[in-house]
Amino acid sequence: MNAGLAEQIEALKIRQSRDRLTVIGRMLVDGRDLSLWEHDTKTLPRGARIWRRRARAFARERIRPLAAMADRDPASFDPKALVGAAARKGFQTQLFVPPFGRASVTTYLRSATLPIAVIAEEFATECGGLALLLLAHNLGVVPLLLSGHVRTLVRHFLPLYFKTSWLGDSTTFAFAITEPEAGSDVESCEGAAQARLNATARPVQGGYILNGSKVFISDGAIADRITFYARIEGEGVESWTCFLIDKTMPGVSVGRHEKKMGQRAADASEIILEDVFVPKRNIVGKLRSGWPNNHNVLNYSRPVVAAMALGHGRGAFERALAFCRGAERGGRRLIECRDVQYELADMLTALAAARAMIWRACRNFRANQPLSSIAKVFASDTAVRVCNQAMELMGDAGYMHAHGVERAWRDSRLTQIYEGTNQINRYDIIEHQWDADIAADRGSALS
Amino acid sequence: MDEAATISSADVRSFLDLAYQFSAKSLGRMFEKEGPDGDLTLVPDLMDTAFKIGLAASPDPAAAGHDYGIWGAMTEEAGAAPSALMLAAIAETCAGAAMCLHAQGVAANLLAPAAGTLRLPRTPIRAALAIQEGPFPFPFAAIRDTDGAPHGVIRTEARAESGGYRITGRKDYVYSITGVDTFAVFTRLSGGLACFAVPADTSGLSLSDAGLRTGLRACPLHTVALNDVFVPAAARIDDGDAAGLVMRALALSWTGMAAIAVGIARGAANSARRYAAERYQGGAIIERHPAVKMLVGGSESKANAVMAALAALRPADPASPPFLKHAAELKLAATRQCAEAVSDCLQVFGGYGYMEDFGMEKRLRDATVLKSAWGPPYFLKQFIFDLDREV
Repeated sequence: MNAGLAEQIEALKIRQSRDRLTVIGRMLVDGRDLSLWEHDTKTLPRGARIWRRRARAFARERIRPLAAMADRDPASFDPKALVGAAARKGFQTQLFVPPFGRASVTTYLRSATLPIAVIAEEFATECGGLALLLLAHNLGVVPLLLSGHVRTLVRHFLPLYFKTSWLGDSTTFAFAITEPEAGSDVESCEGAAQARLNATARPVQGGYILNGSKVFISDGAIADRITFYARIEGEGVESWTCFLIDKTMPGVSVGRHEKKMGQRAADASEIILEDVFVPKRNIVGKLRSGWPNNHNVLNYSRPVVAAMALGHGRGAFERALAFCRGAERGGRRLIECRDVQYELADMLTALAAARAMIWRACRNFRANQPLSSIAKVFASDTAVRVCNQAMELMGDAGYMHAHGVERAWRDSRLTQIYEGTNQINRYDIIEHQWDADIAADRGSALS
Repeated sequence: MDEAATISSADVRSFLDLAYQFSAKSLGRMFEKEGPDGDLTLVPDLMDTAFKIGLAASPDPAAAGHDYGIWGAMTEEAGAAPSALMLAAIAETCAGAAMCLHAQGVAANLLAPAAGTLRLPRTPIRAALAIQEGPFPFPFAAIRDTDGAPHGVIRTEARAESGGYRITGRKDYVYSITGVDTFAVFTRLSGGLACFAVPADTSGLSLSDAGLRTGLRACPLHTVALNDVFVPAAARIDDGDAAGLVMRALALSWTGMAAIAVGIARGAANSARRYAAERYQGGAIIERHPAVKMLVGGSESKANAVMAALAALRPADPASPPFLKHAAELKLAATRQCAEAVSDCLQVFGGYGYMEDFGMEKRLRDATVLKSAWGPPYFLKQFIFDLDREV
């Protein structure tokens, strides 16, 4: 392109050509030279905005340097320092407002999960495994909060949050629902009604004796406490009850550590309970309230998983972009090639759509089942697609570990599976909207 | 579908049977131990076996696989289908091993006509193609995009001097069988293209491992540096212009990658079917769930459609633009369709599919590498368009 043509094109761009408009016309042109990240951040409520900036800084400073090593050799990675640092910064106490937690009060009352979702995106942009390592703690803690049970809150939740917020305590929680013979079953009503659940609780004097095992438990090996769901002996899933298990209780052990394709920095382990006595005070919420509690936990957590997926896609995009700035094809920088620009724009479009959907799902005080599932399905499918595009954009370099793009791809694939496979999530959308939208035409269906 | 039925030669059919036996019995040993990619220490011995039984082609006419091995001399007569189907059969068990035999076969195919004049370090000759520079393939220079710019730029240069040539440059993403002793190196030469057989032990040639990667780990991947490497005049294997050899190399390479992709997808679909018939969820064996049926049925359709396209390949000159275009189309469609099929099959396993135990995550990693290797989709699409215009 000759210099004259380049100059002419530059002059036609709206930032320059708007000068030919009237004053009011100029005011109606958004000519700010902002990154899309900054533009999006400015649209957030103040509390979420602050946490998004903090999370990006933390992710770049603390997560980015560990990402490649923690993925390559998870067995020799000690997560304590990172978990402690995240706790001190307030990232591990976002489920409640001060003085116990660190969530922003005004944002919390309108969009309780939004700050967690924006934090999840920032963490996962740098490393899916380390993001999961930090965020799985929320998943372990949230059953206490969502039980809505005052004694549970006073005995377990508030002291934990107070110690973490004010004393820098880094007690870690894990959430245990999946069983060897019941994966997706425990994530949808139809499956649960017919599930073969092996974890049982037998009533005894002063508490319950728990037996059974759970698999694929994120942070299972490093967690100090576990919210563990079991049916009452002789009853079905309707008796499911959430018990708070302390790892130090006799009979609790960690079994197999799974070897995963991605998100390798976070462990996924088997938790085995053999005749574990759990006192009544460790029942989370009411007896037999485990199923709705679990279901609602998933409603709250799915948008956060969606945000993690979004982060994987964004991480792949950012690293592929960095590659395209430096690499050449046919004597031209890749970012100057139209075909590459086309792909980059397509990826940005997909990521922006996923982000809009996630933030929409989070902008409710109460999580909404279909919106949560819709966000999770769309964002995870989008993330995998964007990661694939990012790898392909780089040609053979895309599958080399050194660039970190293939790591994001490996990480992203799990988001289509956990927190309910995307197939189960689709059923959940229909299940919840059956009466309102699907079964009969009420005249206002889907409108 | 009986792919062998579409091949008329009894010899070719027997080699296809051999490929299936090698896949199931010999390669199966790799996966008796736990590990994300099987026991990679067995690969050199397995490749020795492949040479002995004639699956691996060699430019040496005395080698067992010279004619009927993968991309062996019979490719001219029987077409690309037999080798493609053998690769698919092997990739059902291990795509990385298939890639080893494929890389060996393509290089052997190029070197075979000149084998009589080359210095043969041993037999069978272990060869590899050193063509690509940087992360994108090098289509032959006559094919240009709509701006008139070459799709790829070749920087490795040969200079003629007394008694031979001096080569300087670097080749990336060189897939090979283990223990390569001869590289087919493409270079610029006086404004044209040339191809040389360069022994691996030549002074000035050095190999370095390309580094950690997502998949196809059973197949070595190297960067080859050539620093003022001298080769005798007899090492030049083109007949004055290597453009035809470039087309042949890329056409066979892309066809083979399509075949490996379909093998991975078929292996994944078979595993998913077996798992679906055993796994109980939601009150039933999961093969009764519509979502599972759709995932597996859709995957099988994708794999079988690509397989049919490979089986239908008729004898054609691999060094011709129409074949090259078809190979690019096959690579584009097959690797994408098959990677989607593998991903859908993995989904059937739920969380177990993501773990190393069932081998599904390995299949997905391998299939995903094939999409980007030696020509990613957005590159191939444009190449196909431009090549058609040229043709």
